[in-house]
Amino acid sequence: MTTSVVAAALSVLAVLDGTFAGFRSSLGRTGLLDHRRSDVRASVRGGVLVVALLALPVAAASIDAIVRPRRLHLYRSAGDAMLLVYGPYAALVLLALLVYATLGWRQKYLASAVILGPFTLLRPVIAVAGGLVAAFAGEDVLVAIIGCLAVGAVLAVEPIADRVWPADRAVTA
Amino acid sequence: MAVVDGGRVEITDLLWPVDAGGRRLPVPQRTAVASLLANGQRRAGRIVSAMPAADGVLDSAYVDALGLRVHRELQRLGEELQFGRRAAALLKPLADRLRTGPGPIRVVDVGCGLGYVPRWLASTSALGPDVHIVGVDRNPVLIAEATRLSRAEGLACRFVHGDAFAPDVAVEDGARTIVISSGLLHHLPAAELAGFFAAQDRLGVAAFAHWDIAPCFWSTLGAWVFHRARMREAVSRHDGVLSARRAHPAETLLAAAERGAPRYRVRVDEGSRWHPRAIDVLRPIVGERRP
Repeated sequence: MTTSVVAAALSVLAVLDGTFAGFRSSLGRTGLLDHRRSDVRASVRGGVLVVALLALPVAAASIDAIVRPRRLHLYRSAGDAMLLVYGPYAALVLLALLVYATLGWRQKYLASAVILGPFTLLRPVIAVAGGLVAAFAGEDVLVAIIGCLAVGAVLAVEPIADRVWPADRAVTA
Repeated sequence: MAVVDGGRVEITDLLWPVDAGGRRLPVPQRTAVASLLANGQRRAGRIVSAMPAADGVLDSAYVDALGLRVHRELQRLGEELQFGRRAAALLKPLADRLRTGPGPIRVVDVGCGLGYVPRWLASTSALGPDVHIVGVDRNPVLIAEATRLSRAEGLACRFVHGDAFAPDVAVEDGARTIVISSGLLHHLPAAELAGFFAAQDRLGVAAFAHWDIAPCFWSTLGAWVFHRARMREAVSRHDGVLSARRAHPAETLLAAAERGAPRYRVRVDEGSRWHPRAIDVLRPIVGERRP
């Protein structure tokens, strides 16, 4: 994989994660049976929020790589390591979502009980593990700091969404 | 509903006490905290201690808003656990058998909370035509919200505050009524279960189906995972795990149903205690009146 493919893959995963974080933040807010509109709105907000929060680490990495091109391979190594951790996790979650979206209620339940619920709980651990692996693979303090900032940004989406768009306001929305 | 086996109580069981006439009683904060601490529930005690109070009594407006948030989260979990579809899959054949008789069929959801299952059944018409769906709860705040939601959604179901088994509250023609509940049974002490089933026997309902958690290692683990992963409110997280821990085993439910409702064929569909089928972690006790 080229550096740009690694960067693109990580960006897609980050935006997907932000979207799902926004989606989770909107659930259980209104009591309505049909909450698709508020879910879609919250998902978009989550995606936009993660892009905004990632702007700083992405800008820092981009500037560093442009100013000192010889350091590009450090980011590439860190990115590869992150993908190694996040890729299988994301693949399983996406597979479970496919099952949830397409199959019968028993399979939906199992996808949720076996994958989606437990993996939501594991998500912060996986995110931090990816950051740590990237920090070791990058073998550079600045790369490690930027990696940590990126992980922090991704993990901050749901708590921020919960605070900015809290329950009672969502109910009347 | 009050206290249960093992002495441990869910926080929500303490927040809406009512008198014999169904009127709401104030909740002294110190008493509530002391009862939790006496059971060794220190975390629950801290949660209740942090709730706003005036003159030592928990702020009822705060408690009501909290209750709605908790039940909305609970509904979200119900959606994920496919409660509506579970109910429809079991109730449709029961309703179809009743359909051969005269007049409409009634499905009464006892302890319906925000009425997720009744509203889902009404919105999907999953049970077919001529089925009246009624939700009943002793909590007037939840019933008011269930009513508001069903009106906003334009649904043909209704919600009633009171005792579901009292005369003329929800059951009119027992022979054409199916009584259901979801997540209610673990709120009842084992000693009250036979009385719960006996009330349905007295009304002569055609059938009952009460879903609850199958108590086992996996359901407790699952409850912990899901409440950590999905619930925002500390009360939800505390009560959700405790629900799984204090749920009644199938033998207890069957014994109580056979004692309280001897005119019914009863069954609980679940696998082994240690290796349950994942789908049966939430399973119903089903009773059908013998001909």
